[in-house]
Amino acid sequence: MSTDITTSQRPTPPSYEVPKVYRYGALIVGFFALVIFPLVFNNPTISTIGVFAMIFLMAVTGWNIFSGYTGYIALGHAVFFGIGQYATAMLSSYWHINPGMWTFVLIPVSMILAGIAAIPIGFMILRVRKHTFIVLTIALMFIFQLFAYNLRSWTGGSQGLEVGQPGWDGSVFNLPYYYVGLFVAIIAIITSFMIRRSKFGLSLLAIRDDEDRARSLGINTTRSKLIAFIISAVFLGAAGCIYAMFVGSVYPQFSFDPAFDLELSIMAFAGGLGTILGPSLGALIISAAQQYFLISFGGANVFLIVYGALFIVILRLLPGGVVPAISDKWRSHVVRKEQRKLDAEIQGPAEGGAKK
Amino acid sequence: MLVLQAIIEGVLVGGFYALMAAGLTLVFGVMDIVNFAIGALIVLGAYLSYSVCNHLHIDPFLSLLITTPLMTGLGMFIYVFLIKPIKTNRVVMSLLTMFAVATLIEGILDICYNSGFVQIHASYINNSLKIGKLNFPLIYVLSFLLSVFLLGCLFLITYRTKFGRSLRASMQNPVAARLVGIDTDRVSMITLGIGIGLAAIGGMVFGTTNAFNASSSYDIISRLLVIVILGGFGSVGGALVSAIFMLVIQDVVAVVWSPVWGSTTFYMILILVLLVRPQGLFGKKGVRAQ
Amino acid sequence: MHKLRLGSVANRRKVQIGAVLGAAALAVTGLTVPNAIAAGKPITIGISVSLSGDFSGDGVATQQGYKIWAAWQNAHGGILGRPVVLKFLSDASSPTQVVTNYQKFMTADKVDFVLGPYSTKLTKPASNTANRYHYVMLEGIGGGPSVFSRGLKNVFDVSASATYQLVTYAKWLAATQKPQPIAYATMDDPFIQPMVDYARAYLDKKGFTEAVYKVYPAETTDFSPIASAVAATGAKIAILGTMPPDGYAMVQNFIQAKYNPEQLIMASGPDQGADFTKSVGITNTEGLMVPNTWIPTSNYPGNKDMVAAYIKAYGGDINAINADVPEAFAAGQVLAEAVNKIGSTDNKKLQAYLHSGASFTSVQGPVQFAADGQNSGAAPYVFQWQKGVYLPVLPLGGPDKVSPIETMRPDWGTTPGM
Repeated sequence: MSTDITTSQRPTPPSYEVPKVYRYGALIVGFFALVIFPLVFNNPTISTIGVFAMIFLMAVTGWNIFSGYTGYIALGHAVFFGIGQYATAMLSSYWHINPGMWTFVLIPVSMILAGIAAIPIGFMILRVRKHTFIVLTIALMFIFQLFAYNLRSWTGGSQGLEVGQPGWDGSVFNLPYYYVGLFVAIIAIITSFMIRRSKFGLSLLAIRDDEDRARSLGINTTRSKLIAFIISAVFLGAAGCIYAMFVGSVYPQFSFDPAFDLELSIMAFAGGLGTILGPSLGALIISAAQQYFLISFGGANVFLIVYGALFIVILRLLPGGVVPAISDKWRSHVVRKEQRKLDAEIQGPAEGGAKK
Repeated sequence: MLVLQAIIEGVLVGGFYALMAAGLTLVFGVMDIVNFAIGALIVLGAYLSYSVCNHLHIDPFLSLLITTPLMTGLGMFIYVFLIKPIKTNRVVMSLLTMFAVATLIEGILDICYNSGFVQIHASYINNSLKIGKLNFPLIYVLSFLLSVFLLGCLFLITYRTKFGRSLRASMQNPVAARLVGIDTDRVSMITLGIGIGLAAIGGMVFGTTNAFNASSSYDIISRLLVIVILGGFGSVGGALVSAIFMLVIQDVVAVVWSPVWGSTTFYMILILVLLVRPQGLFGKKGVRAQ
Repeated sequence: MHKLRLGSVANRRKVQIGAVLGAAALAVTGLTVPNAIAAGKPITIGISVSLSGDFSGDGVATQQGYKIWAAWQNAHGGILGRPVVLKFLSDASSPTQVVTNYQKFMTADKVDFVLGPYSTKLTKPASNTANRYHYVMLEGIGGGPSVFSRGLKNVFDVSASATYQLVTYAKWLAATQKPQPIAYATMDDPFIQPMVDYARAYLDKKGFTEAVYKVYPAETTDFSPIASAVAATGAKIAILGTMPPDGYAMVQNFIQAKYNPEQLIMASGPDQGADFTKSVGITNTEGLMVPNTWIPTSNYPGNKDMVAAYIKAYGGDINAINADVPEAFAAGQVLAEAVNKIGSTDNKKLQAYLHSGASFTSVQGPVQFAADGQNSGAAPYVFQWQKGVYLPVLPLGGPDKVSPIETMRPDWGTTPGM
């Protein structure tokens, strides 16, 4: 609308991006919606789903910082999710942390530990690419799961570990987890945003587009990938910590769970891999939908069929994800408007709004 | 003696795993597709054989004459309706599609067969050949022979037939293959058909050696992926070697140390191998890996 | 409301009359239709069951047990004279979903009571959630020791706890047999492994040696190395910590290895009825033993009805009933008995009453709760397959009549007199 083609100045080229007003408007609306959400829907069932949605929100955003931006699809980030969980369970008993607000101190600790673990792991596995990378990450996850099973004296083996539960009243129990989760998730999104807009982010995108060329242009690809890997692991660690505190028990099978990684990638894809907000949107929609679905239709075992079928339909209709689909729509909308204006100009202003 | 026994069992069971993995590696090589549904498809194959055996009262091996064409057809169907329409980001999109297919199959099996454990039967399943002090379970010997035979056929098809030439051409360079007039769509469709048809055979053997239900696929999939990666993408022979290697290591460690460390040891070896040879033991290095 | 008391009196009399037919008919429909006896506002009970995923096999059996219990209870006056309505949600074998499901039951549906899900792994997060809303969680299928070591006051297991299930056999062994090497192999599982480990510790103390002790991961599909390792010891007694699918595979591998232990006891597998006999073949079942908390032919209240209703609804024979069914049924029974006793649906009162040392009877036998919520009243049985029949053989000198135990298994595939 701002580009008035009839002015005497040189016309500014039309922007194909969704205008800032809309984008930031949606962001602010979304933010406030998330903040007041548990207060409006104060039923603990809804806020439980909310807590899990927050956990997935930060996990997917973290995952996207590495996999979305570099194009390396990691299916082993459950390693860091699990490290966060086990760190929380082990440290809360080792430090004798009384269940309550103080337990949240373990979030930064888990983040640091996950980040530290990511250094040697990333150093090792980032040497390979493509399918090999995917499978290597899966294999690593199984190794960690097996360690959790086998190192009984630390991890409790198949007996798992406990995280003490605070004695808060049921009606408000979920709220601290929700808001802390939201806080960390927002940090993750801001981090993701800043990376995407930085030179470092550009180097990651260059790796995604063509790693060899990126290297030949002087980008230290190994270092960039490793840093992105560590940052993404940090948020997975936080997700694991909150999950362990909230659920209260930790098992190898559920902490290092291949299904978790698939869920992350599905959420990121549904929303739009490599975009800033797409994965977040995917996380919110899918994690909530999945849980809601089970509590609505779970009594019958058609759940898997409906879920599978729906998933295939989504993949067919929105192959790039929701956010790219929106920007595609907007782009074609702008292009069409341009076209109409051009047509009008060519056919003479007198006729105005003429059709072809 | 125990170790020798473990090695023999590793080799025999390895043959069976190679059979299950062969379809996966073929599809991988030609189409760049991680067939995540392979586990669910194997369980589907097992259930099909189970039903055929129960209703027609025939030998499990004979049931393959019915189940394999069915599953091959299913594979072609999946290709035409689900894989072919994928335009962008094939690797990951196809992975997710196959995951959705797996979920769908598991859901359907859950309803059709309930969730109780079943097993396929034949009079000779519990038999074994005893040579000296060593023991050769008959069903594993049969499945080993079957898998060697089938893998041999696959080898002949890929290296001695016209279709095989198109297949290898599509594997090496799909764009060039299309340029010289190879119908890569047709090649892909047939490959996915073969790949999933092989799952029917693997499923039958799985169903005779393990009690299974619709959720059993989770136990299979990670191992098959690992076998395929270690063997090298697209290398059927590599899958055989790496499957045997994996099972022997696992079985020997289980016997001399502990079963829980068996798979850990194997995964560690896998990582070490891949760090030195990212393309796997027998994989060809891509022209320009991305 | 005075109808309530009448209801519970009628309730007892009805038990004596034995409304087998009514229970069976109701179980077939799977519905909980209020009838003349149970009337008024329904008592709602929320249960999360695993209808898909890793635990789906047992999850379905668990649901069957609960359904049959509800039908039976309604035919016997319901709870407090009110009909029982069960609400099921599937958790897809995931702890995340278990938490959400019980939240929904307690806060959105505001059910009167909850009962436990399948498995130790899911009972832990479920009971945490229940505790938060001051709900009692009675359960029959989640008795791993770690459930009770957390100091939770609201979780009660009506079945014999995992810890002692194999000890019945171990005690008999120590009392009657000479110390000798025993081969152990167990799955790495929070419920199964403690069973084997407690028996092992007991037998170690009594001078029995360990020929081999192997722990295998839960996702094992190839049992030949484990079976060979056990077979190679030639031990005459083997104690296995197996779950149904691997129990079958283990037997198959033993047959292939031509390993014939004189005594073979498995934590689970031989108790799975038709699933088991079909999978390993009926001629191979001779002499196999399994600990169990339930006698299919027992005369405990409700048992005959439950068996009849199960067969009517799901087919098969008495030996085909999965152990999860009576375990779920028993949890429901204890809940009903306790609530009828205190005459209130208040979970706090219920919790206090269950902790009071009161004793209950279920299809599995007497139930009395220790301070940590485990059932201290139960005496786990040992069953043995003899000539194609599944018979209780231990404990000796208990309240129930048991058949003589067969101490020498024949070779695989041979059943004397069959």
